[in-house]
Amino acid sequence: MKYYIQLALTLLIFCAVGSGVLAYVNAKTKPIITERKIKEAKEARESLIPGSDFERHTAVADTEFEYYVALKKGTKDAQGYVFTAIRKGYAAPVKTMVGLDKDLKIISIKVIEQNETPGLGTNSALPAFTDQFKGKTDAELIVDKDGGLPGKSIKALSGATITTRAVTYSIKDDINILRADLASATGGVK
Amino acid sequence: MSFFRELTKGFIKENPTFVIVLGMCPTLATSTSVDNALGMGMAATFVLICSNIMIAAIKNITPDKIRIPIYVVVIAAFVSVVDMAMAAYVPALHKSLGIFIPLIVVNCIILGRAEAFAGKNNVINSLADGIGMGLGFTLSLSVVATIREILGNGTWLKMRVMPHSFDPMLVAILAPGAFITLGFLMAGMNMLKNRK
Amino acid sequence: MGYLGEIFVMAMSALFIQNFVLSRFLGLCPYLGVSKKLDSAIGMGLAVIFVMTMASAFCFLIQQYLLVPYHLEYLQTIAYILTIAALVQFVEMVIQKNSPALYKSLGVYLPLITTNCAVLGVALINITAFRSDGVTPYNFLDATLNGFFSGVGFTFVLLAMAGIRERLEFAPLPKSMRGMPIGLILAGTMALAFYGFMGFKI
Repeated sequence: MKYYIQLALTLLIFCAVGSGVLAYVNAKTKPIITERKIKEAKEARESLIPGSDFERHTAVADTEFEYYVALKKGTKDAQGYVFTAIRKGYAAPVKTMVGLDKDLKIISIKVIEQNETPGLGTNSALPAFTDQFKGKTDAELIVDKDGGLPGKSIKALSGATITTRAVTYSIKDDINILRADLASATGGVK
Repeated sequence: MSFFRELTKGFIKENPTFVIVLGMCPTLATSTSVDNALGMGMAATFVLICSNIMIAAIKNITPDKIRIPIYVVVIAAFVSVVDMAMAAYVPALHKSLGIFIPLIVVNCIILGRAEAFAGKNNVINSLADGIGMGLGFTLSLSVVATIREILGNGTWLKMRVMPHSFDPMLVAILAPGAFITLGFLMAGMNMLKNRK
Repeated sequence: MGYLGEIFVMAMSALFIQNFVLSRFLGLCPYLGVSKKLDSAIGMGLAVIFVMTMASAFCFLIQQYLLVPYHLEYLQTIAYILTIAALVQFVEMVIQKNSPALYKSLGVYLPLITTNCAVLGVALINITAFRSDGVTPYNFLDATLNGFFSGVGFTFVLLAMAGIRERLEFAPLPKSMRGMPIGLILAGTMALAFYGFMGFKI
């Protein structure tokens, strides 16, 4: 019995040492990672709606949804909104950053994270796909395979309908949440 | 065995992928492009070297009954270090390798070498073994990745090598292509071995 | 959709659409290396299903109640792998006591379940997975069930492979193709077949 306790103690010591080393490395690397993420997100926002200051908001009805109001630099005029839509695609969540103008029409989108099938779903990140979102309202965010009319819908990627649906409908749903929040008393520019 | 001999045996004669047949999961999953393969190979080599050295250094104070859990803790610690370092300094590679970075801890090559070699040899030789096996793994990973990337994408290290008229064979980058490519490569290695 | 529908989606995904071995490349070592006999494949498969289910459950709990609240996410790899090692040790003891014959036939492959990428893989996947609506992350029950179905998916393919390889022993193959190469090409063909399940809308 004493032998087993000795063994367990030895293992525990090794674990403790290992954990200590990891805690140190974590302390060193975590700030770098967080800082870079903030910088990347800020640059992405600025590329969608240039010339703005961004103000962060959280929707009242759905506290998991946060969006940024793009204020014209130096003023309090809202010239648009930016948010990140996430939805599970085929393999993993697809993250799309969306820039809207003040009438909630899409200025442009950018698929910032996806792990879909190479050659099929990965084409969602290409301009050939994302450009068709420009200028669309949320009413036009229907995939053509789901009954959308040509010209007023999103053409599905060949072999990647699931990925297309993930991007399209995640944006559509989030625009609706945004619209509801702006209409509410506490939404919009402070 | 001399240092040089230990170092080079991992390249061809005892190549971990084609001869000892270890580390299949990452070989198939990360060989979609040569830069992924090199990234994974380097990360695994780093962990292998560090864990081999560490395990050889502590082999006299590890009780035999719990040596496997201790090896696992050591390897897991190094893998976590690599994971955090990659997330901080090479985020794009970190993202494309995904869960296969923490999965380095169950890469049979690392635990296999710890058990078969580092636990029984001194630090210098274990270092050589680690370098050799790691580079051998990276080499075979790159060979598979080269075939898959050229056939499936027309590029090598993301530079276009096939003419634009070449329609890529998509299956090479997908799962079935991985299995079949490796299968034929292994058959090729067997042919070379049988000829000697 | 109802929870039963949710479970069906999860099962279909783990078994066919995103099969652990053929799509995700997890669990290959035993898949390629395990004995080419059908009966030890069954024993191995059942052991793996049990370990994967339990590992999913325990690792999820550890993540949710220990690692996240205390900001210890960097200890995830160590914590998970130690949990799995302990589970496998436990399974080993139980099998040794209750069925020495099975214990002997599994041999060295039983402790090797610890290094099976599929077990650690499913534990890691459960943390970042989403339900079919694409937005809700997995809860404890989802994670455990996913572990179970992924194990079944693994076993399913393992059995198919073992069955085919049993027959393949008698086939006139060129010498360099015997063993591992033909096993890999076989896996590739099966993976190709499973690709037909992609885009299966439930």
